[in-house]
Amino acid sequence: MGGQACVLYGAAEFSRDTDLAILAEPDNLDRLKAALDDLRAERIAVPPLESTYLKRGHGVHFRCHHPDADRMRIDVMSVMRGVAPFPDLWARRASISTGDDVMIDFLSLPDLVQAKKTQRDKDWPLIRRLVEANYFQNRNSPSDEQITFWLTECRTAQLLIELADNHGNIAATLAGKRPLIEFVLKGDEKRTTEGLESEEKHEREADRLYWLPLKKELEQMRHESYQP
Amino acid sequence: MKIEDTIDDEWLEWYQMTPAERWRESQKLWSFFIATGGSLDPEPDTQSPFNDALMSGAVPADGRSGVRVVRRSGV
Repeated sequence: MGGQACVLYGAAEFSRDTDLAILAEPDNLDRLKAALDDLRAERIAVPPLESTYLKRGHGVHFRCHHPDADRMRIDVMSVMRGVAPFPDLWARRASISTGDDVMIDFLSLPDLVQAKKTQRDKDWPLIRRLVEANYFQNRNSPSDEQITFWLTECRTAQLLIELADNHGNIAATLAGKRPLIEFVLKGDEKRTTEGLESEEKHEREADRLYWLPLKKELEQMRHESYQP
Repeated sequence: MKIEDTIDDEWLEWYQMTPAERWRESQKLWSFFIATGGSLDPEPDTQSPFNDALMSGAVPADGRSGVRVVRRSGV
């Protein structure tokens, strides 16, 4: 769902770790544990791989020791801020065949964009490139759904203005949902950029607040795990 | 000015590949990275909410982030 999905959508060229979004149910966790055993993966931090933690939004972290993936990190999550529940993610997932009878399922592009709205600097350029890549792949014959997605999630002022020039009717319908569209429709690049910065600041703060209680839980777990 | 003029040519080329093509190219970069001694150990990410919990574990071998641009970094 993370860096590897960004590679598949064109926002990155390489990722050396793997992030998995999973259904936190007993049978599925058993299958995941078997796969982690195959990779000789050790858990490297609290919490343990249990559904109760995953369902509260925690991530579980592993490091592999299989020779083909030595020291590769695997992070497992089930619930992410602002992202739909897993059954919805699964229903609208994307898939590719790698050509060797292996299918890779990964988050849909809109879900991946939502998952990347975090407090970390490095996620925001990835969102920009995720939307840009999808635009360049589909701009010659886009659906209304794609145009709406670009106008809702694009993080490039110039591209937003180009979109509004070409699809003004759809842009106008989104002004109530995304305030900066008002400036986009006027071709005001400076205020559009300021609006993008404001959106990012708001999301980063929301993510920081979302994680406060979870970080307290993590700290408590760490403390307990170090009790003599 | 067109939007294309603001984006690096290599990124435009990457954008226009299919997901399967990007997967294959990324696998080549993975192989090259490993063959040239690259470490899969991620760096501490001080902005990640997981960072505190992970600090006692992973140690960066090369000080790089998990997601990277290999071609443009000249590796």
